Amino acid sequence: MRLESRLSRLKSMGSDSIDRAESDSKRSIESDPIDSPLRARLAQLQSHGRTTGRHVSTTTPALPVEALAKRLEGKCIAEGVIRIRQRVPLAGTLGGVSLTALHDEPRLPGEPGGSRRHVYIDTETTGLSGGSGTLAFLLGVAVVEADAIDLTQWLITRFAAEAAALSAFADILTAADRLVSYNGKSYDLPLLISRFRMQGLRPDFQTLAHLDLLHPVRRLFGKRWNDCRLLSVEERLLGFRRVDDLPGSEAPAAWFRYLREGQAEALIRVVEHNRQDILSLAVAHAALSQAIKQPGAYDVDLHALARWLYDCDAEEQARALLQANSTALCADGKRLLARLLRRAGHWPQAVAVWETLAAGGCLESIERLAKYHEHISKDLGAAQRCCDRLPPTPTILHRRQRIDRKLNATRQAG
Amino acid sequence: MSTPAEKLVPGGTAPAVDPAEALAARLRAQYAARITGELVIPAKHGQYVALPQDLDARLRTALAGRGVKRLYTHQAAAWESVQAGKHTVIVTPTASGKTLCYNLPVLQAALHEQAKALYLFPTKALAQDQVAELMALNEAGSLGVRAFTFDGDTPGDARKAVRTRGDIVVTNPDMLHQGILPHHTKWAQFFESLRYVVIDEMHSYRGVFGSHVANVLRRLQRICRFYGSEPRFILCSATIANPAELAGELINTGVHAITDSGAPQGAKQLLLWNPPVINPDLGIRASARSQTTRIAKQAVQRGLKSIVFAQSRLMVEVLTKYMKDAFDRDPRNPARVAAYRGGYLPSERRAMEKKLRAGELDCVVSTSALELGVDIGALDVCVLNGYPGTVAGTWQRLGRAGRRQRTALGVLVASSLPLDQYIIRNPEFFLGASPEQARIDPDQLLILLDHIRCAAFELPFRDGDVFGKEDLGEMLTYLQEHGVLHHEGSQWHWMDDSYPANSVSLRSVAEGNFVVIDTSCGAQTVIAEVDYSSAPETIYEGAIYMVQSAPYQVERLDWEGRKAFVTRTRADYYTDAIDYTRLKILEEQQSESAATPNRAGDGAPTGPDDSNVGTAPGRNYVSTHRGGDGVHAGHGDSIVGTAAGVGTAAGRDYVSTHRVGDGVHAEHGDSMVGAASPPRLSGLAPAGGASMVSRGEVHLVRRIVGYKKIRYYTHENVGYGHIDLPDQEMHTSAVWWQVNPAALDATFASRQQALDGFLGAGYALHIVAAMRMLSEPRDIGRAVGDGNADWFATVGASGRGQLRNSDGEAVDPLALQRFTPTLFLYDNYPGGIGISAPLFDNRETIVTGAQALVAACECAHGCPSCIGPILASDEVRGYSPKALALQVLGLLARHAS
Repeated sequence: MRLESRLSRLKSMGSDSIDRAESDSKRSIESDPIDSPLRARLAQLQSHGRTTGRHVSTTTPALPVEALAKRLEGKCIAEGVIRIRQRVPLAGTLGGVSLTALHDEPRLPGEPGGSRRHVYIDTETTGLSGGSGTLAFLLGVAVVEADAIDLTQWLITRFAAEAAALSAFADILTAADRLVSYNGKSYDLPLLISRFRMQGLRPDFQTLAHLDLLHPVRRLFGKRWNDCRLLSVEERLLGFRRVDDLPGSEAPAAWFRYLREGQAEALIRVVEHNRQDILSLAVAHAALSQAIKQPGAYDVDLHALARWLYDCDAEEQARALLQANSTALCADGKRLLARLLRRAGHWPQAVAVWETLAAGGCLESIERLAKYHEHISKDLGAAQRCCDRLPPTPTILHRRQRIDRKLNATRQAG
Repeated sequence: MSTPAEKLVPGGTAPAVDPAEALAARLRAQYAARITGELVIPAKHGQYVALPQDLDARLRTALAGRGVKRLYTHQAAAWESVQAGKHTVIVTPTASGKTLCYNLPVLQAALHEQAKALYLFPTKALAQDQVAELMALNEAGSLGVRAFTFDGDTPGDARKAVRTRGDIVVTNPDMLHQGILPHHTKWAQFFESLRYVVIDEMHSYRGVFGSHVANVLRRLQRICRFYGSEPRFILCSATIANPAELAGELINTGVHAITDSGAPQGAKQLLLWNPPVINPDLGIRASARSQTTRIAKQAVQRGLKSIVFAQSRLMVEVLTKYMKDAFDRDPRNPARVAAYRGGYLPSERRAMEKKLRAGELDCVVSTSALELGVDIGALDVCVLNGYPGTVAGTWQRLGRAGRRQRTALGVLVASSLPLDQYIIRNPEFFLGASPEQARIDPDQLLILLDHIRCAAFELPFRDGDVFGKEDLGEMLTYLQEHGVLHHEGSQWHWMDDSYPANSVSLRSVAEGNFVVIDTSCGAQTVIAEVDYSSAPETIYEGAIYMVQSAPYQVERLDWEGRKAFVTRTRADYYTDAIDYTRLKILEEQQSESAATPNRAGDGAPTGPDDSNVGTAPGRNYVSTHRGGDGVHAGHGDSIVGTAAGVGTAAGRDYVSTHRVGDGVHAEHGDSMVGAASPPRLSGLAPAGGASMVSRGEVHLVRRIVGYKKIRYYTHENVGYGHIDLPDQEMHTSAVWWQVNPAALDATFASRQQALDGFLGAGYALHIVAAMRMLSEPRDIGRAVGDGNADWFATVGASGRGQLRNSDGEAVDPLALQRFTPTLFLYDNYPGGIGISAPLFDNRETIVTGAQALVAACECAHGCPSCIGPILASDEVRGYSPKALALQVLGLLARHAS
């Protein structure tokens, strides 16, 4: 019995009736003769085996690699590697957004200023689930120069070309570069490291500094937006929407189709998609930097930004930000503001914020006030009243007793 | 767990008042007639040697800190073998200090060369035990070796540390398969320095699971070659007949076996216990369940820590309830009895293990889940409710009692299942038997193909590579044709956006566990998990699902979403599913026809075919193929259990399920097994012989049609329910027997009688085949059907064979134009796991063995121990079902004569 038909039968675990299973397997034997007994057995065991590889559509003739390179305005730099270079002048726009903002080096909280070159990076891969069977068939990087964005993409058109493409990428990097990605910390970079290892290359780039813009975007807008995909960044931060974009999820099929059938239309769109991703990444970096300078204009989560500044030892900046926007703050923002004011010794302002919060029933603030009145203003009566507003936990009771003692002592002394 | 050698004192000097011995003496005195055999294993002294010269001084310190100043001889032998660079398998009893056999070389290599080791345990629980053990040794010697578990519970942020810093990574085959190998680049450093792979509980890697694991190890070895390492394997196993062979098949190379244990052992007593006959005419005995409960109660009353093993999860719950009814009536006191089985949540199982170790429980009722080396401390008494199906499995379970310096008592309570009855009536067979062979078939086509996909994802194959025994190039071409591989140059690249390991489960055929969700108090709490294959028969709507013997009723089953919603109930019954199976022959691969002329006429319709029985080689088959199959154990017990209801229950209880499968159904199994064979076989008639036996491919449809409600204690049926679930289908291989219609007509007075004969013969053949072919208990199924795909046969409510068409409607045998009953024994795994070929090769022994089994049975007209249970009314049906079965077996035997 043939292996293919045996396999197809073995796999017939669906709800097919016996008769149908039989006729299916007969059909597969009759209409699809296979000369190999082993494969026939396999097919029989797997009656509804997938046949994605079999239907070859012949709508357009296969596009040879050289012709594909030409369509993409790139050139073959090694067998199966097409390099596409492009200079996007900063005088232009991206989706209506002026690129002039890129003239200034973007800076996020906690970043040292300086002369690090930012290398924006994005990959297109053969699958989203990761693992060593997934590779990056398209790797794009961009660096911002004085008057233009210099964008380079390496597209491989065969598996054997991967090492050459990875080496070409590694060659443009220097130790002083800083990679900038979108979700690259958990996706693109680990995948590239894995590919370098698979190809027996050393992934030296893994020691480079790396900024994953997804994290600051989540930090500043995670509570504001439904999701933090790059497309949302474009829409909400950069203010444009892509037209006729090929979804990233269709990238694997596009590449497979080119390898199997030479059909390049979808693959060409993947290259465009990747180019767009990288440019958006560069612009988003600048926009984020801008949003931090003018948080009000970008609907930034002020508390999150202040917290970020505070975590980066920019405490004064954080306080100034919160003070300037004190009326627009959420409760957490106000608590942080009061805390920063207290740390700076601005007691009256801190008390004012606590009192606002206390009026809203914030227990933490009432306790703060109790402490303030006990130790700073020495208004023991006020401290007592604060304690009475708090649930009688052992700590509070202890404080209350201590205040009572102090009051008695004061009265006796008086 | 390794027991430090110094802590064990040579046994055999226990005083006569030893409580377990006292219990044994009491049982012997009170129930002498029920004890059919016994075995006393005297205590054994340990054999010791000094620590090896080349052992690192820090390790010596660590061992001293744990109370170990010398080694057992087998530990030293393992050290030498491993130091000589040999792959080594160690096969010694429970609690013989196996872990030191691998921990010593692994720690030595970690200390001297920063070499890494990978430990594989079949379950997460065992892995966690092992890390605790290693840590203790590590601390005792301040070794600074880092051992981590890596499994589904390892938090994401800890995984990187495990990968890069772990000297010893402890995991399970499933995690290696799905979480490590497909991400091997992240483990590059680890694989580069991987020196040892330790595989403990090797005996659990048999059957389908073992075949998968062998392929996972092929993949592991392939990845290691990529990183330039060639690790040595150290394997440990409970006693099986062929450890070196199994180890060799698992790792695909020769392995040095160490089988002589130097560890001391406490004395052991084993009683073989047969429940008393309560209806001699029907061959019905008291239930094993009642006997088990009685013995366990006595043990607990005497203050002995006890463990009861049951064959199915359902039986665990039922026995737990009976024990709890006796000991846990007052809810204010901490529970003394607990159930332990698969399907409970891991946290619940961990808590149970902890209580057991701490001695807080007096009795635990378990499935085979506790047969593995989970550390549960010392127990005194082990009661087996039914024969576990294998000699090895029986000893493993019995080994759970008696880890201390006291006598341990084991009691094997036979159910009325044929295999149990055979063993209990022939105690010398069990007591003198060597353990079974563990079989795997790593080249089973579907399993192999699955792992070739996974391997191709991990690293591209090159032309000329070898992976398994099939033609790899053909397999790769097949995968390319199906669009997942791409041949470029001399390499085969993965070209699909899927992650193949996720769709390959090592333990079951189909994907996706069901979760059981308790919705009782408005909340939704997950209380258990049920694997896909047992879901149809355990969590259908209306089912009573038990957790710690607390009943829940399934209100709704979301088949697609893999969820069962249950609520607490106070039902006084449990439920048992009814299923039937139809088979269709797809292709015949081997066949043999009877050569001798038909002599069927000489068997009188009402008497046994003595001519054949006489020539059967007596009990020879017994000595060569004991073993049999644990699964059976599940049924008979309940068949007996329903004895009380004989008069009242409509007889349906006596219909036994035809699956050698899991005990749950099997009990009270009302299973209707049917079969159909293709039209071409109806042309059998002209063949000269009486019968024909064939082997080939079949298509099987199994349907769960309903369930019975069975009241506790009385075991009467209190109702039926309908189940509407998708059919389970598979393609597999089978052996089938058919009788020349002319011979059939000449032998039997009626088609009804022939049919009854086939059903009885099938029952007996199934028993013998299961004993001979043992690989895993649920591996063989049986069915009786027809040559024209028109009908399949079940034992109906009347106790007689009944024909049903594919819609399940009754068919009159006389209304059929052609009547070609076909008896199938099939490989109960999609694609077959390699049982049908040896079955076919042993066809003569199996038939003659079945003849001997039936002829030698003491019953009058048939019983659960030979041709299946019969009804009281059968005595007046005018002919003996047992004689009919012998006639059919006679016809089947003739082809071989």
